[in-house]
Amino acid sequence: MEKFVQLVVDGLSTGSVYAALALAIVLVHSATGLINFAQGGMAVLAAYVAWVLTNQGVPLVLAIVASILFSFVLGAVIERFLMRRFERGDPDTAVVVTVGLLTLVTGIAGWLWGYNNQQFPSLFPLDTVSVLGVSVSIRSIGTTLVIVVAMVATQALFVGTKLGLALRAVAINPQSAAYSGLPVERLLMVGWGIAAVLGAVAGALVAPQLTLTPGMLDNALVYALAAVILGGLTSPVGVVIAAWLIGVLENLAAVYVGFIGFDLKVAVPFILIFVVLIVRPQGLFGRKTVVRV
Amino acid sequence: MASSSKTSAPTTTAPPPSATPSPASSFRQSPWVRWGAPLLLVVGLAVLPLIGTESANDTLARIGVFAVAVLGLNVVMGYTGQVSLGQIFFLGLGAYVTAYGVQSGWNIVLVFVLTCLIPAVAGLLVALAAARLGGLAIAMVTIALPIVGVPLAKRLSEFTGGSQGMSARFVEAPEGSGLYDDQWQLYLVLVIGGIVFLLTYFLVRGKYGRAFAIVKGNENVASSMGISPYRYKVLAFTIASLIGGVSGFLYMVVVQYTSPETMSFGHSIELLVAMVIGGAGSIVGSILGGVFYVVVPDLTNAIDPSLTALLQGALLLAVLFVLPGGLVSLPRAVMRGLRRSPAGRGSAAPPTTPSSTTGSGTAAEPTETERQGSA
Repeated sequence: MEKFVQLVVDGLSTGSVYAALALAIVLVHSATGLINFAQGGMAVLAAYVAWVLTNQGVPLVLAIVASILFSFVLGAVIERFLMRRFERGDPDTAVVVTVGLLTLVTGIAGWLWGYNNQQFPSLFPLDTVSVLGVSVSIRSIGTTLVIVVAMVATQALFVGTKLGLALRAVAINPQSAAYSGLPVERLLMVGWGIAAVLGAVAGALVAPQLTLTPGMLDNALVYALAAVILGGLTSPVGVVIAAWLIGVLENLAAVYVGFIGFDLKVAVPFILIFVVLIVRPQGLFGRKTVVRV
Repeated sequence: MASSSKTSAPTTTAPPPSATPSPASSFRQSPWVRWGAPLLLVVGLAVLPLIGTESANDTLARIGVFAVAVLGLNVVMGYTGQVSLGQIFFLGLGAYVTAYGVQSGWNIVLVFVLTCLIPAVAGLLVALAAARLGGLAIAMVTIALPIVGVPLAKRLSEFTGGSQGMSARFVEAPEGSGLYDDQWQLYLVLVIGGIVFLLTYFLVRGKYGRAFAIVKGNENVASSMGISPYRYKVLAFTIASLIGGVSGFLYMVVVQYTSPETMSFGHSIELLVAMVIGGAGSIVGSILGGVFYVVVPDLTNAIDPSLTALLQGALLLAVLFVLPGGLVSLPRAVMRGLRRSPAGRGSAAPPTTPSSTTGSGTAAEPTETERQGSA
């Protein structure tokens, strides 16, 4: 029983990391209608920035904040100078562009810092605390909490501020937004920046566990995409729930299902997807999109 | 090479307004060229293995292997417009089936048939689920294939040899032919790869190719014409998987060794990069893609191995920016640039080349220009 609770808590923590990445993907999709396969790669680049700063003696929290600012600028710059040209065109081409971006970003990280695993300092102590008689790791709880806070803050930004209102307007209908005087192009840059920030938070939190490599978040990206498919592209809440579900289920399956084990747990979300797709192609929480011809 | 454009030339909607019929096109239509060029190509390919050095033959054979893999990716992505990030998985699967069959001492023809069938069935199963989702979901699902495939191959070690991989030597030049092994391997790749290319060429120019093009262009139009986008997506994906399996067989012919690393995520991305840079939706582009896949890593490794990924990413983005049709559209883009510049019109190369879709017989809607795209 105790093991079960630990597995669930750890699952929620990794699930939160997938959720942050998945939310970033949903954010970009709702603003620009494309799937950013480089979301994880950009987050890795941010983690490397934080790592370099900590090596220079900067305190970890400051380094992470600096890497978050860096990601915001990076996201905005990528939107402005790379993606904008492809946003109104064929979505398949835009996807290939983001795949190229992933290769490029991974290549930059590998070229600057090598492909060897680097130790990334953890934001939380590695001890465990006893909650209701079950010991769970502080890192898992901390990771989950930080990401929940980040997600709530993002949601508050979108619902409660003027900037959020403008971002939503652009996402719903860029043309009308432009007619009503909104600076659509700058808002798209902000949207990409915020998405990159979410990714950077996830990257900094998961880097101590995975150890820093250029391909660190490739698997996490796959989980995040699985969460996006399961939750439905139109439903941020659904995506987060799906990400947690995936995190918990894969942890449980790794331990309790003999054949899967730790090496094959990456298959769990896809077994889940296959089951869900047969029943609900629009995802667990998504709406069916109806297109007028 | 000439064949892909010459037959389409007469069917295009008259000469483009600005251009007078160029001497080149009438040259290409003369019967001597029509029949001579393919003949020359076949003879050239038949002589090729005999004159090259061993390492040149090996490089050529590897180019052939990956040209076939890129061709498979082109069927689903270039022609049908469904982004697939998992093509390398089917190459790996084919390679494992071949290695296992050879090690078990099965008849080589049976092994080849299984190498076609097993990846095709696997692709069919994946596509049946993935194609239910619209648009980009196929990309999001297929990215999982290499990422699940690598640990799966390590796990099923009684079939795959685990992380050690499997080697299988089964291609030796027959006694009395006087050929070296590398020459014989190159011949096998040329013959099998050539047949696959020929069959695919007929496929994409025929009824199915037109259906693929409409599914790529507009799914709603496709359904209104009685073409089920779902069925044709599944079909295209299955064919791509089958071709991937054949490329896996050829991979074992040439490399004679496979490991989980063969189907890693990085290689899958490289395959996609190669396809886009070679030219999406183009037979010749697939060959150029194979050249790119094999030659560029060799070149960058000579400069600095850690630069490979960076250069590939940068090259892909550069091609998408300046030459969305891929390298195969380079001659046409250059010709257009030359024709325009004396006329004084800006030389900003328009990103699309609508004439390249006319090959598949869908020139009916001239407004749909970006359909040709590069994905």
